[in-house]
Amino acid sequence: MKQKTFEWSLERGDLLPLLLLLPTLLVIILIIVLPLFYGLFLSFFNIRLGGKSSVDSFVGLSNYLQFFRDPTALKATVNTVLFSFGAIASDFFLGTLIALGLLKLKSLTSWIVRTVVMMPLLISPVVVGLIWRYIYDPKGILYWFLGKFGIGTAQFPGVTAASTSLLSTIIAHTWAVTPFVVIVLTAGLLSIPEEYYEASKIDGAGPFRTFFQITLPQLTNVYIVILLVSGVDTIKVFDIIYALTGGGPNNSSISLSMYAYSQAYDQSNLSYSIAVSMITMLLTFCIFGIPFIKHNLAKGNR
Amino acid sequence: MKRRRHTYKQIIWTAIILAALAVLLVWTIVPIYIVVSNSFRKTLEIKQMPPKLFFEPIFSHYQKLLSFDRFEVYFRNSTIISIGSTALTVFLGSLAAYGLKICKSKLGRRISNVLLLGKMVPAITILMPLFVMMNRANLTGTYLAPIITLSCMSLPFVTWLMTGFIADIPNELIEAAGMEGCSRVSIFTRIIMPLLKPALASAIILVVKSSWNELLFSLQLTNLNTYPLTVGIARYVGSVSVDWGKCSAAATITMVPIIIIGFFMQKYLVSGMTAGAVKG
Repeated sequence: MKQKTFEWSLERGDLLPLLLLLPTLLVIILIIVLPLFYGLFLSFFNIRLGGKSSVDSFVGLSNYLQFFRDPTALKATVNTVLFSFGAIASDFFLGTLIALGLLKLKSLTSWIVRTVVMMPLLISPVVVGLIWRYIYDPKGILYWFLGKFGIGTAQFPGVTAASTSLLSTIIAHTWAVTPFVVIVLTAGLLSIPEEYYEASKIDGAGPFRTFFQITLPQLTNVYIVILLVSGVDTIKVFDIIYALTGGGPNNSSISLSMYAYSQAYDQSNLSYSIAVSMITMLLTFCIFGIPFIKHNLAKGNR
Repeated sequence: MKRRRHTYKQIIWTAIILAALAVLLVWTIVPIYIVVSNSFRKTLEIKQMPPKLFFEPIFSHYQKLLSFDRFEVYFRNSTIISIGSTALTVFLGSLAAYGLKICKSKLGRRISNVLLLGKMVPAITILMPLFVMMNRANLTGTYLAPIITLSCMSLPFVTWLMTGFIADIPNELIEAAGMEGCSRVSIFTRIIMPLLKPALASAIILVVKSSWNELLFSLQLTNLNTYPLTVGIARYVGSVSVDWGKCSAAATITMVPIIIIGFFMQKYLVSGMTAGAVKG
């Protein structure tokens, strides 16, 4: 009986919960929802930035159709997906290795290493791009170092050639984002009960079997959250590429966000650029939104 | 015999881990060290390979930034925008999280998850229409435009984070206070807020970090008087030949403050980032 009294529910006329939520909802509606619909509306016209916007330039879906005939847009789509998969794969691989390694260290050493490793995480992506642009300079430190092994710009052209420019941006991104994976995975690893490992030791499982049969399954949830929290950002990538290669050479590393941006602010094709960005959102939603919803539904049912 | 093999194996493993550790530290520190040290080197010395470990530090790159490129203004703008958007986000986010707590708990969790869908919206998708809207409202170039926009970008995650932390507060505590005759508002200010201090710290460092580092919105929603540091740097990047001395100094000014803040709030940074993952 007592408990019933204090189980606050959304009674009729109880405005306090709504009142507390209202400012947040208002800001989100004003800054996210409204622009989304306004953008969708604008994308059906042919409006140029800076020019007189006229409502009579209705073009229907032709901005969206143009996307599929635009080789640069398709190139940007492929680049974005490649960047996303490449970056997530290398972040996860390196992050897992480092997190497992850190567990083996004494707590003080592990703390020091973690503190150092965390630094890139705090640096602005545009600065990360700038740092790596210096590193990739053909006369810079990377090629000085690689030169000792006989590797020059001919073997690994870095940001100067179309063949490796996207790879170069993935490396820079990995440098910056792996620490996030390390930190979250470390917390995940520490939450696995010790008994599991003891049991597997008694069973005589080697380190690899232990990893694949105990550690990895226990971490599935953690990996999904990492994917949803930081993986999503890879498909929206802008800053790092903007600073590192500017999308070049020859659009070989341009991402969808960058292409939409340059269509709007360099070419003034406002409507087309919004159409490109809408497709970017659709892509994000297809790759990450659906797993996100599934994940939440699964959790809700538990 | 068996025991000896075991020790060999152990020695080899220790060696491998130490070597990997060394590689990891070099990989992390060297890029940062190069940029920071280059900001104190003469332009000619920056080009010199291998870089000299000991050199005579100069400050002319910083002087150039401050006297010609108004970086002190950018620094001030970054500070205002970060503090403003962080205060707004954390305030609104904790109110909303408490609102979700006191309506039916299951529904509350659902709404905070729906809000998180906001993370799926790429910044670029709302940038252009928002830019047009802000222009119409004559808000571009004010501090309000980037503050409210950046705040909104962090709001879904912060609300979700705070909802999780509030859910951890034992119900008995709130019920007991309710029995004592505490109103729901005073329960929030006198019981929940004090308990949420670590959560607030986590939210603060996460929002400060993302606001301080944000580029895309700031590029279009600010003007010469409200440019933050990231836009100041982005303006150098566009040029064909980059003045590395000046760029390194600008990069240093931008990253060192946030690295220092992150260092001192490391505990909260880690708990904020891992909150979602480990609790599920």
